[in-house]
Amino acid sequence: MIRAPGTEDRGAALILAIAFVVMIGTIGAGLAGLITSSANNRVSLQTLRTREYSADGAVQEAVAMVRGLDSDTTASCSAADGTAVSTINSIAIRVDWNAACSIIRNGDGELFVQRNVVFDACEDVGAVCVPSAVIVRAQVNFSDAPSGDVTDTFVQSWSVNR
Amino acid sequence: MSLLRRAERRIDRRDSGETLVEIVLTVVIIGVAVTALVSALATTATASTTNRSTVDADTVMRNFAEAIKDAALRCVEAAPIVVGYTPPVGFAATATPADAMCPAVTATKRLTLDIDGPSGVHQHMEIVVRTP
Repeated sequence: MIRAPGTEDRGAALILAIAFVVMIGTIGAGLAGLITSSANNRVSLQTLRTREYSADGAVQEAVAMVRGLDSDTTASCSAADGTAVSTINSIAIRVDWNAACSIIRNGDGELFVQRNVVFDACEDVGAVCVPSAVIVRAQVNFSDAPSGDVTDTFVQSWSVNR
Repeated sequence: MSLLRRAERRIDRRDSGETLVEIVLTVVIIGVAVTALVSALATTATASTTNRSTVDADTVMRNFAEAIKDAALRCVEAAPIVVGYTPPVGFAATATPADAMCPAVTATKRLTLDIDGPSGVHQHMEIVVRTP
């Protein structure tokens, strides 16, 4: 039983080898994609974290600044709005704040200033923070004594938006 | 008859030669491909371990930062910031300056945090705290 080599068998080894190499190449490409994707996700996570804490720190600095601005005034609604730029973790963060101020009288007839200040922090692009760019928004209540000094700060809300 | 035998021998010889070449080529190709695959898998495993350590370090960094901010909420002017945070096994967390004091109410304090983890992972971040 001798069979002459059929023409349909010729080149089968090469085709199989090519198919095998393509399969291995596909697996390799998949693995490379997996590594790249993981690395990119990790970098994004770190960038996001750093930006978030930078914005948080910039708002903390703005809160302290607003508190200091009012320490030498009498019972009046001063230091209503303002802007500050801080560079934290090599990121320039702009904080805009505006205040809703009211003067209240206690049972003894003493006057107190109650200020609710809203702070918006975003990456500094040289313009006012637009809502879609806000990273941290905080609402802080400053209670002023009749002398004008801030006695307490109460954080009403502190939200990380993006 | 003799012509037929000669033809049989010629066919046998050609078949044997092709099979040997095919086997050698197959072994070489499979060897190269398997080596490449194993190397790729090893690289993936290493990268995955590094990624995992980095992500763990990120979590440790966040926890450390939150512990410091939490400690700052109880701050009294000029008192030390007491942080009760123990990093997980394999990680080291340091804040600079180590003996930071609570700032005045109209000031803030910047602290630099460093996390060292397995596989030589290192993370660095700056945070700001204030006295309430």
